Amino acid sequence: MYFAVNGKQVFATTGGKPFDNSKPTVIFLHGSGLDHTFWGLHARFFAFRNYSVLVPDLPGHTNSEGPPLTTIEAIADWLNDVVKTLDINNISLVAHSQGCLDALEFASRFPERLKSVSFIASGLATPVNEALISAAENDPEAAIAMMLGWGFGPAGQLHQGPIPGNSMVAGGRKVMRGNVPAELAADLRACDAYKNGKQAAAAIQAPAQVILAGKDRMAPRKAGLELVAHLPDPEVTIIEESGHMVPQEAPDRCRQLLRDFIFKNNPTR
Amino acid sequence: MSRFLNFDTLSLHAGQTVDPVFGARATPIYQTTSYVFPDTDTASSIFNLERGGHAYSRITNPTVGVLEQRIAALEGGSAAVCTASGMAATFCAITAILGQGDHIVASTQMYGGNISLMKNTLPRFGITATFVDPTDTGGFRDAIQDNTRLIYGELIGNPGLDILDLEAIAKIGGDHHVPFMVDATFNTPYLCRCFDYGANVTVHSVTKWMGGHGAAIGGAVVDGGNFDWGATDKYPTITEPYAPFSGINLWEEFGPSAFATRIRAEAMRDIGPSMSPMNAFLLLQGIETLSLRMDKHLSNTAELLDYLTGHEQVSWVSHPSLPSHSSHKLAQKYLPKGAGSIVSFGVKGGREAGKTFIENVELASHLANVGDAKTLIIHPATTTHSRIDADALVAAGITEDMIRLSVGLEDVADIKADFETGFRAAKRVAKG
Repeated sequence: MYFAVNGKQVFATTGGKPFDNSKPTVIFLHGSGLDHTFWGLHARFFAFRNYSVLVPDLPGHTNSEGPPLTTIEAIADWLNDVVKTLDINNISLVAHSQGCLDALEFASRFPERLKSVSFIASGLATPVNEALISAAENDPEAAIAMMLGWGFGPAGQLHQGPIPGNSMVAGGRKVMRGNVPAELAADLRACDAYKNGKQAAAAIQAPAQVILAGKDRMAPRKAGLELVAHLPDPEVTIIEESGHMVPQEAPDRCRQLLRDFIFKNNPTR
Repeated sequence: MSRFLNFDTLSLHAGQTVDPVFGARATPIYQTTSYVFPDTDTASSIFNLERGGHAYSRITNPTVGVLEQRIAALEGGSAAVCTASGMAATFCAITAILGQGDHIVASTQMYGGNISLMKNTLPRFGITATFVDPTDTGGFRDAIQDNTRLIYGELIGNPGLDILDLEAIAKIGGDHHVPFMVDATFNTPYLCRCFDYGANVTVHSVTKWMGGHGAAIGGAVVDGGNFDWGATDKYPTITEPYAPFSGINLWEEFGPSAFATRIRAEAMRDIGPSMSPMNAFLLLQGIETLSLRMDKHLSNTAELLDYLTGHEQVSWVSHPSLPSHSSHKLAQKYLPKGAGSIVSFGVKGGREAGKTFIENVELASHLANVGDAKTLIIHPATTTHSRIDADALVAAGITEDMIRLSVGLEDVADIKADFETGFRAAKRVAKG
């Protein structure tokens, strides 16, 4: 669906059911250069279990009007504007990679409507190599290759995928090609500049869940465990066989963990 | 692994997870109709497209799935759907987006089955086609109508071997917001990855060079993931709610694989042209050696072109690698490794001499197939293209004396010796 936030058109998929702000709502946040399709194996599941689902494209990404936002703090502000515009209550926030930084900021600064927050494949910060940022600006294909090469674990590199016939890595490449150079570069610079992770994590009041990946080369286990250390009493799971793209590489395990956590902390009637 | 794998590696490994139970290295043949669900929630979520998984082998099968992901990887597509045959792939791909009142712009130079499908069968369902000379790129633009929903052609036309100007035609499609679907059977992704030049969908008869051994019939549709279906309202099967799956909007939820998902959700379910697991296994064995076989096909073809062009009994030879071929420059651009292993030639003495040649060769097999490991020959005017009318034969560049040769992997000296036997017999007929 499309809706306006601060005068700009925002696109969000709702998992195949009409959006209904009277229900507990799961909001999914995508990572750098990606879009709503990243969450295809999760959004529909919750939408058909009596949750409202909102999977927005960040400003400038795929179907949402630009320009892209340039800081994590600005994305958190924008997300709060989305929440207020749609008058969403009882939120479970699910975030991956850069989306986790957005979620850290949002959850620490706007806790009022938040019932739970799930961080997937992230640490407290995401320092980005200048070579990657430069590639995003000047040689997007190279940047995409770097990100997907590091992002997907062995199964992804072999074009496997949980949906028969679909290649996760090729699908990711097609999406990212639509979000370069400006959007990806803005995302990466925003990640690199974000330094408030420790303070934000410590301020989070909602129940938190952290899902890490054993073969993650973009947010390695050590970085993820730093996030764990600064959150108040999170539920932590490490999916050993997955690379960074956990929601796609290990969707069944990831969905099970999200389901158990969200059902418990943000139940439907 | 920290980077994209190369073609030969993907030919061997893409799509396969080593069997976690017994450690089988080869892809197991999952010869089963159906799959036990662990619980009702999982069952319902698979049926509702909430998660991946197998329910019934008409829709998906683990062995077929490996083949699909391997073909998608080799083509650079976001998803692939395998079918019982190449014609099934073409039908499913077209009907995924076209319906009553829609129109196709297609090349005149195509496999007779493709022409018949568009000229005879699809019109019964309200889908019409305008055929365009593949060498007249501007003709594709001129033939586009308000109701055109597809541009279709074979990269290497069968059997005239004219090459489509992929980039130019893709641009025409893009300008009119019409997807460009390419039958890539004759080139395989080893010789040309059509998506790199702007094509949006490829279809294959994987029976041919992809499988390569003449042992299994199969087809594939590959979604390039590079067409913006949502930019207009021309493609409601992709962008509008789809009632059988709770009103799912495939474009919103599946993005770059929405087209392939439509085929899976509709054609495989409602029509059911499924590939068998056994065939998928056989085709996977072929794909493992695709590049090795294609290189040998090409080197044998080059030697036979030298031999045929210098032969006194041959009236003409056609292959895009020859400077005399009208598509020579396009072949150099799009098919730098080689322009395939189909050769057309005429035997001096016309139809009777050609017939005598075919009946007197022994190593080369006279049959209606191409892309086998073995050398094959046929007379298109009386076989593969016999169901199209005289005008269409001319448009397809098919002459009475034409012999279509599919160059195999034998020792090329043995192929030449076999042909000498045929040419000697043909010479006797020609002399009368």
